Amino acid sequence: MAFLEIQHASKLFAETAAVQDFDLAIERGELVSFLGPSGCGKTTTLRMVAGFEQPTTGRIELDGVDITNMPPSKRNVGMVFQAYALFPNMTVGDNVGFGLRVNKRPKEEIDQRVQEMLSLIKMPELGKRYPYQLSGGQQQRVALARALAIKPQVLLLDEPLSALDAKIRVELRYEIRRIQQELGITTIYVTHDQEEALALSDRVVVMSAGHMEQVGKPWEIYNYPTTEFVAGFVGTLNQLRSRVVNAQVGELDYHGQRFKVSGELPAGETVIAMLRPEQLRMGVHPGENQLTGKLISLAFLGAIVRMGVELGEAVVTLDALNERRLALPKVGEPLTISFPPHAAWVMPVD
Amino acid sequence: MKKKRAPVWVWLIFLLGMAYFFIPLLSTFEFSLRMIKGTYSFEAYRVAFSDPAFYKNFGYSLLWAMLTIIISSIMVVWTAYWVQLRLRRIRPVVEFVTLMPFVVPAVVLTFGLVRMYGRPPLLLTPTPIPLIAGYVVLSFPYMYRAVDAGLRSIDIHTLTEAAQSLGASWGTILFRVIFPNLRGAILSGVFLTFAIVMGEFTFASLLYWPAFGPYIEEIGSMRAYTPQALSLVSFLLTFLSISAIQWFGRGSREQQAQVAGAH
Amino acid sequence: MGELPALSTAGTVGEKKGEAPKAPPPASRKTLVDWLGVLPFFLFATMFLFIPSFSIFIRSFEKLGGGFTFDNIIALFTKSDIVNAYKTSLTISGVTALLGGVFGFLMAYAIVMGGLPTRIREFTLSFSGVASNFAGVPLAFAFIATMGNAGLITRTIETWFDLDLRQAGFSIYNSLGLSIVYLYFQFPLMILIMAPALAGLRREWREACENLGGSGGTYWRRIAFPILMPTLLGTMVLLFGNAFGAYATAYAFSGSFINLVSILVGAQIQGDVLYNPGLGNALALGMMAIMATAMVIYLYLQRIASRWVR
Repeated sequence: MAFLEIQHASKLFAETAAVQDFDLAIERGELVSFLGPSGCGKTTTLRMVAGFEQPTTGRIELDGVDITNMPPSKRNVGMVFQAYALFPNMTVGDNVGFGLRVNKRPKEEIDQRVQEMLSLIKMPELGKRYPYQLSGGQQQRVALARALAIKPQVLLLDEPLSALDAKIRVELRYEIRRIQQELGITTIYVTHDQEEALALSDRVVVMSAGHMEQVGKPWEIYNYPTTEFVAGFVGTLNQLRSRVVNAQVGELDYHGQRFKVSGELPAGETVIAMLRPEQLRMGVHPGENQLTGKLISLAFLGAIVRMGVELGEAVVTLDALNERRLALPKVGEPLTISFPPHAAWVMPVD
Repeated sequence: MKKKRAPVWVWLIFLLGMAYFFIPLLSTFEFSLRMIKGTYSFEAYRVAFSDPAFYKNFGYSLLWAMLTIIISSIMVVWTAYWVQLRLRRIRPVVEFVTLMPFVVPAVVLTFGLVRMYGRPPLLLTPTPIPLIAGYVVLSFPYMYRAVDAGLRSIDIHTLTEAAQSLGASWGTILFRVIFPNLRGAILSGVFLTFAIVMGEFTFASLLYWPAFGPYIEEIGSMRAYTPQALSLVSFLLTFLSISAIQWFGRGSREQQAQVAGAH
Repeated sequence: MGELPALSTAGTVGEKKGEAPKAPPPASRKTLVDWLGVLPFFLFATMFLFIPSFSIFIRSFEKLGGGFTFDNIIALFTKSDIVNAYKTSLTISGVTALLGGVFGFLMAYAIVMGGLPTRIREFTLSFSGVASNFAGVPLAFAFIATMGNAGLITRTIETWFDLDLRQAGFSIYNSLGLSIVYLYFQFPLMILIMAPALAGLRREWREACENLGGSGGTYWRRIAFPILMPTLLGTMVLLFGNAFGAYATAYAFSGSFINLVSILVGAQIQGDVLYNPGLGNALALGMMAIMATAMVIYLYLQRIASRWVR
């Protein structure tokens, strides 16, 4: 029996299904991300756990207790909203202590807990400030402290960083992970940012159009996507629509150029070969597959150099790690790329 | 999202509000129809519209309104624009001045104007200058707020610099770049000013100038029914002006809020 | 700045007359031009707003035959008809601000959060824009037709209950009647300002409150109401000033039956009814003082509100 179980939960709004048959067991202390484009049902699922939405079918159990129809105020689940959900009329300290005051805890306990929480988010001196005197990043820290002050059984974060600047976002991402691990609190983290999900989760649930696409550890999701959606949504992906030449040895033909892939080929005459940009290399490397096309774009991004190579009807993206003595090819000239057979994987068409 | 149905008390409050809105209008209309005893007729309207004094006073009000609008809009638009462009630090001062009509109600301002300019060395009361000046002051809050909101929603710095770099003169910048971009805002100030000046009573009556407001009051002391007919005309003017604002502006509703003492 | 021919000419004219009151002393050419741009506005405001106001202030301290005195100011607090006028004005303004505020708030709540159809909300807001600007003489006549001696409501009550209100000594040309008239523009103004404020309450606040264990009551008591409070109070102060400065509506509704400060000031303009010009000025000064206080309170509350809710 897992700590938090969402069992076959579905949610219908009017006639459309926002969430369909969501089924997930989350272990105590685990951080699970719900990742997907907007409108995929990730937030609705989170809100069902918080109690702001009732599942149309299915149930939710927390530590063995059925909370499916329990009102939000009774669930003891802490939530951090997208942005600006701090009560503007209260100081930081009053915001953090709000849940405890509502539950009529003694004053000393509240004061102590508030101070504890402010130290946890590294803002011990700012208890007397008002939200409007804080930066966006600080406000979200306070929102986190407020949610944690009531010692919730589960912490829910609904795109907590999406309204912040890129730099703060990365900083706060690790801060959230640190606090989560320090407290060992079971956490659901909703985001549309794949990098964020991969960086801080124990497990990731990729969702699209209301249903779960894949559940797995971040590296599993990235390296072994089980559906085309996951493969395309997480990371950049090159897709080469190829003809099967020899199924036994995994030989494929792409616009007259032959290459091999390892692993089993699905049935059919045409398949799609998938390649991550960082697994492609410039030039000829012995023992690897070679494809030759024309370099049509080149962007120097600092750590990596991103190239676009026109190959048949597709433009293949290639990421090369920067080196100080890297000789950059010229745009418009032919370029050969190499990759080992195990770097590619194959999916059936449609 | 869940759509909750309105509870009974909400409907009751709403209906009470609607009653407050419409019963006086309905009563006024009914009253205006009762000029001929025992039957409903439009006699009051016929009488009202056949009085040459009506046209004279109404015409004067139109004239006052036009003058006010021209002076106020040019002065306020120019000042708001200039302050935004060059003197951002005195913006609070300008804002303060435009809010002054709240602190100095119409009747007090008239009092001050009469006492100050009703005698030499600067005798202005024989001219309509104090009247128009009073109206312009009265229009400041509406005009400034509307224009200021409009200015803030466009990047006038960049627009001005872009126009300058293309060789435009200040006249061109103002009339062909800034004004057209502020059209909605200016129009909302203009119509509000129009609505206020057309029914205004305090300044016109105390400074002894013919106008629509004092005219209604005057015939009110002489006969019944026609003033109600004219009141509805006045209501219609207000209604049309505000509708025009909503039609052109479609901006923030707060701009319509009555702030100063035109009542 | 070569492309400023018109303004530089204006500059020389201004300099000759020595009329650049706000210009900083060692003004460079550019700053001088900057200040000249706002000169017409400030000149106008000085001439038709500040000088008349200031003259009222100065003359409030003028003795009947000339010379300085505090008597006029003292008379404001001691002379019974003046004190009464202030009392009546303050009462009517306070009452209509409170009632208009409360009812306007309820209306705003009804149309924004009450679950009424969107079209009703749109309509009410539009009509509030009209009603809050419908005032003065026409409003007075509308209410005379409504609840005057031959008004629709008066006649309706008389036929329904078979009584003669006029003979019963009932009149609406008093403070109560005037308050009812004022409410016609008071509560719509409240709606206009409160509706956006209510719509500005974020769903997240309610949900965060619920999430932390609070009930709907907790939410209103500790979050929504405190957040709305500055706007609510500020608007009521605005309504107060709105009624306090009103002259036309009161004059057209009841002539000088109701002893209001504004009516008294109006009478003082038409003819020195107090037989003391200095006292007339003091009367007007008192109005300005009260309005200025209201304005300061309003601006202060508005600043709090705008800080909280952006």
